Formats: sequence, C-alpha cells, structure tokens
Amino acid sequence: MTATTQSSVPATAPRTAAPASDTRARKAARRRQLAACGVLMTPFFALLVTVFLIPVGTAVYLSFFSDDQPGLGFGPERSVFVGLRSYTAVLTDPTFLGGLGTVALYCLIYIPLMVVGALALALLLDSGVVRLRAWAQLGLFLPHAVPGIIAALIWLYLYTPGISPIIDLFAHADITIDFLGVHTVIPSIVNIALWSNLGYNMVVFYAALQAVPREVIEASVVDGAGPVRTALQVKTPLVRASIVMVAMFTLIWALQLFTEPVLLSQSSPMISSRFSPSMYIYDAAFTRNNYSLAAAASVILLLFTIALSYGVTRWTSRADAQEAR
Amino acid sequence: MLGRPSRRSVLAATAAVPLAGALSACSGSSDSSLRSTGKTTRVTFWSALRGSQEVVDAFNKTHDHIQVDFQQIPSGTQGGYAKLSNAARAGNAPDVATIEYPQIPGFAIDGVARDITDLVSDRLRRKLLPQALGLTTFEGRVYSVPLDVEPMVMHYRTDLFDRYGLHVPQTWDEFAELARTVHRKASGRRLVLFPTDGGTQFAGYSWQAGAQWFDTGKGAWNVSLADAPTRRVATYWQRLIDRDDVFMNAVESRQFDAQVAEGLVLTRLSGAWEAGAQMRKVPAQKGQWRIAPLPQWDTGRPSVGTHGGSTFAITKDCRVPEAAMEFIEWQVSHPDSLRARLSSGTSSQYPAATALIAVGREAFDRSYYGGQDIYTLFQQEADKIRDSWVWGPRMTATLRVMQDNFARASGGQGSLIDSVRAAQDGTMPDLKALGLSTTQHST
Repeated sequence: MTATTQSSVPATAPRTAAPASDTRARKAARRRQLAACGVLMTPFFALLVTVFLIPVGTAVYLSFFSDDQPGLGFGPERSVFVGLRSYTAVLTDPTFLGGLGTVALYCLIYIPLMVVGALALALLLDSGVVRLRAWAQLGLFLPHAVPGIIAALIWLYLYTPGISPIIDLFAHADITIDFLGVHTVIPSIVNIALWSNLGYNMVVFYAALQAVPREVIEASVVDGAGPVRTALQVKTPLVRASIVMVAMFTLIWALQLFTEPVLLSQSSPMISSRFSPSMYIYDAAFTRNNYSLAAAASVILLLFTIALSYGVTRWTSRADAQEAR
Repeated sequence: MLGRPSRRSVLAATAAVPLAGALSACSGSSDSSLRSTGKTTRVTFWSALRGSQEVVDAFNKTHDHIQVDFQQIPSGTQGGYAKLSNAARAGNAPDVATIEYPQIPGFAIDGVARDITDLVSDRLRRKLLPQALGLTTFEGRVYSVPLDVEPMVMHYRTDLFDRYGLHVPQTWDEFAELARTVHRKASGRRLVLFPTDGGTQFAGYSWQAGAQWFDTGKGAWNVSLADAPTRRVATYWQRLIDRDDVFMNAVESRQFDAQVAEGLVLTRLSGAWEAGAQMRKVPAQKGQWRIAPLPQWDTGRPSVGTHGGSTFAITKDCRVPEAAMEFIEWQVSHPDSLRARLSSGTSSQYPAATALIAVGREAFDRSYYGGQDIYTLFQQEADKIRDSWVWGPRMTATLRVMQDNFARASGGQGSLIDSVRAAQDGTMPDLKALGLSTTQHST
C-alpha cells in the first residue's frame, strides 16, 4: 500500500530533469512541473473548499447566531449573536449525551470486531490455507459494493418479524429472537456494518501482507515458526501501519453513524429519533427546526472526531518511536 | 393544477343560484364587494386532511374572484411539517397551510404562521368554540383558525361488550376494573391499547386530569410535564401495563391494525375524528362499534382533553392575506365545506364552528354506528373540553422523545413517568437554544 504510492509520482520527475544540464531547460521543466501540479491539485482544493471548508464555516457561523425574539418568542425575529448558547444547550441535552454514549458503545463493539475479523481473514488468505482465493476475496468484497442504504434495507427485511425468513426459521426451532429489541439493536447495526465493510478492510490488509518481504517469512519458517506464529508474530507487526489506518477510518466512519439506524427505526421503536449524534443533528434541523442547535451539535461532533483521530495518531506514532528506540 | 377551465365561472354562476338559500347573508355580501374588482385572486393551499380536494372544488365552484390551488401533502409527522418549514425558509410557503394544534406555537415562533388577529372578523370569532380559538391564541394574538376540535371519546365494540356482559365505564376506576375483567374473561383480548407512539393520547389524558404541561403566564414558558395530574395519569396506566391488562404497542402499526381487525382490542380512546377513519379502515366491522364519553376522574366535575384537530394558518409568504382569510373562513364555517368533506365518506370531524354541528349531524352517514347520533355526543363532550391548556413551542420533538421512551418502557426499560421526565429534559435545551425565556416546575 505505502510502497506503491511512494514510487509512482516522484520517480518520474528526476528522470526528466536530469539529462538537461543548462539552467534554462531546468527552469522550464520546473515551470511545467508547477503547472502540472496546479492542474492536478486544483480539483482537489476546489472540492475541499466547496464541500468541506465552506459548509464547516457556515455551520460555525450558524452555531453562533440565532433568530431571536425574547420572552415567549412570538412576533418578529431578528438574527443576533448568541455566543456559546447553542453549545451549552447541546452539551446539557441528555438526549445528545445519550447519543454519544450509544455511539461509544457501538465503537467499542464494532472496531475491535472489524479490525480483528478483517485481519484474520487477510492472514488466512495470505497463508494459502484458503482454496479458490480469488473467489473468496470477491465474495467477501462484494457486500462493500452494495450502497449502505440498500444494505440496511436488505437487513431490515431480515430483521423484521413477520417477513424475515431467518426469524421464521428460528421460530420453527422454537427460538424466539428479536433482532430489534432494547439490547439487540446495537449488535444488529454492528452486524450490518461488519457485513458491508469487512471485505473492504480485508483487501487493505491483504495488500499490505503482500508487501511483506518473502525472505522475512522464509527466515521465520527456517527458524521453526509454525503458520500461526508466523501470522501473529511476524506478519501482523509488519502491517501495523495498515491496522492503525483501518482502525482510524473505521472510527471516523462509526462516529457518523446514521443510515443504518435511520432505516431500522422504521421497524424498531427502540431506535429513537436522536439515537446517534448524526441523527440528533438531523432531528434538530428538520424536526425541531433549530438550525443553530443543529450547527452547534455538528461542530461538536466534528471537534470530537478530530480530537479522537489526533489522539489515535499521536498515540501510535509515540508507540512507533518507542519501538524504534 | 394551475389554470382552471374558464367555463368553471359560468358553471359557478348557475350553481350559485340554488345554493343561494344556503349561503349566509354575510358571506354573500363580502363576495360581492371583492367581485367588483373583477380580478381573480389565486390562493395556494397545502393540506394533508382527507376530503380537502372535495372542499376546494366546492369552494372554487362557488367563487370566481378567488380560486384555490390545492396540493395534498404528507401528514405532518410523515414529512408535511418539514416540507412546510423548508418552504418557508426558502420563501415559498403556500398562502394557507394546515397545522395541527400542538404545532401552532412552534410555527408561530418560527414566524411561519403569521399574526392574523386583525384579519379574523368578530363574526368569525363568534362562530368558533372558545376553547378551540384559545389554543391558537398567544399573548392575545391569533395565529391560526381552528377547523375542527376533537374531544377525546371512547370508541367501543358493542358486540363484544354484549358477549362478555360488560357495561360502559363511567369512571377511570371502573375502566381499570373492566380491563381486569376482559383480561380474565377473554384470553387474548384486551380492553384497550396503551400506544407507545401515542404522545398525543397521553397528553389528552393528562389534559383531562388537570395537567398544565406548558404555561405562558408570566412572560416565560413554564414547563411542568411531570406535574401532579400527569403523575396520577402515568401511575394509573403504569398499573394497567404492569398487570398486563392492556396492550402496549404502537398504534400506527400493522400489529394494531390486526388487533382491531381481529377484535382483540375492545375500545379505542381517541378523538372524534377516529369514527370516520375507522369506517374507512375497517368497513367490515359495520354496526359493531359505538361511541361513549371518555371515563372521568370525577363525574361531578367532568372534563376532557382533545386528541387531534387541525387549524388553518396564513403563512408569512402570503401576498393575498384577505383572500386567504376569506377562503379559510368559508372552509371552517360554511355548511357546503363540511358537506363536501363528509361526502368523501372518510371524515367525522367535529367542527369548531358550532353552527355547523347540525350540518354534520345530518350529513354524516350513521349506519356504521348502528344509527347512533354521534354528533350530539361529540357536542356534549366538546363542551367539557378543559380550557387553559397550552401546547409547547416544540411539541413534535417533545412528544417524540416521550414516545421513544414509552417504546423503551414497553421493552422493560423505564416507566411512563420516566418517559415524561425524559421528554421535559430533552425539551429544555431546545427551548433555551431558541432564546426563549423558560422556567421549570415539577409539581
């Protein structure tokens, strides 16, 4: 993964610059390079500004202003600066804090399962135990090609009593199972997310494992390590960077939990309208028509996500540095 | 939708002749005053109410200076209110919008429903039930005109009552005993459902018991969802639930449709409008239902709350408020309007304009209720509606938090009163973020 990205872009640059010895040619080459950079980078920055920076700026602005009319609130309104009022409201709202708690629980179940599961599958494929490797990979990856909303619909069908063949099957064996009950609803959502993303992350790990030098593995085999030991103590430490990356992307994705619970809430009253922070934001904007509250909650979620990702990065880089020493 | 055929006005002129007798003298005069300008004013109107198309057609047929463009929209919680809010934000809300009572304060505070105090004539004011108008008036300003007001009543299966030898309960104590009896006598059947998605039903029970969830008395929103009357109601239902004497699931669900269709549930406690909805939904049970007053806490001082009911607001984007108000006034107070709505066969609304009750009594097809004169019953019950009830500024959200917790309570987590407290806790940050003055009470 890392090896391929490093080699592709910069490698061509020195080759074109080297044969030309006079400075004019070098300058022209440099100009061309900058122009190419500009052309290639502009779409990225244009998108970054229009779909990220401007919306974030708008949300920050909205979170500090509100259409106010003091007292009971009837009568003409005017837009006023309200400082941190919306932030205080969000942070004192038990339903928002409850949503954060739900997502924290979801992350605690989902991230370890995802990372361990994807890694285990990748190691199995890499070890050559699995026959028909290409088919296994395709089969595991395919669910990722299904859009999240469709995946949720499929599982909604499988979870809903009365129409689900799975529940019927269990019922034949005299087992009543409620996938959408008070305690089962989070595991049910975790299951959908695992089904969708396990294959994708497995491919990431598998690619990283392919980059592990074969000599290292041969050496460990010669030293007498069995397949399990090779996998756990040789291969796994060598794909650490990928593990951190997958864990971080999964974390960021999990914090924005929205599609699955929204769709499942059609069938389960156990999923409240403010189940996760993202649903809280949606509810604040479109049910409560309280845009400054929604904006403040969005900014809080953004800061929370940034802080967590930063924390994960710092922690792993420090661990890396210690290991290097 | 746009551009009605021009020969409609010719038809209207001929149609107006036989109708002239039914028209009140007042509305006739206002018609002619506006007609003299010789220009047709177009009014846009959004509603989720059944039979609205029939009403609009009837209006357009009899009016040539105002033509209404009607659009059927999803019901409020199904996206209708979000649609209205978003349209208002974009500056293209319809001239006239349908808003249910609990949502009026919210839309008034957001400036979507405009202050129409000066447009509501004294004549119209006198026609309307004062308790209904009270719910659309804040700080002496009117924000919406009531169409119907829906006292909570008890719909019951008279055939099953007879089969099990049950009597219609007068008080809540009798009702609880009856629930016990049904549980014991008729396995699989229950007297009633406690709806987990029924925040408005629970509000109706609390309203009847004397609760005051919101109060605007001292220039601030005083919030006290868990006041003593509400706690009494919550305790009462909690006991029925704990004894398994009632069903507890969603009312808007296939499960409940089955409970009704299979005769598993013997009564429904809901607004008067439910009579029409029931006729449409389960035509096969014709003759098996009757309607009785809601049980009372104190038969000496009877009172009820409401459940459902709609109003018409003029939005901030309306450029023709006078014409819009003329349409609203016709719609809420003209006999033809109610006849047109009842002709759709799916409505049993109880008009807020008291003069129309006689029209409803005569136009409503009584055969489903075995000939029972339900409008006379509704009239008796409407007079018992406790006034001074105030809905809150973010009622959809407040009720939804309550219902989310009711659903958890049905799964064994928490209780009814916990749900009510959670609803209050989930509402306060909202009101504060809106910049409203608030106080809280728990007594």
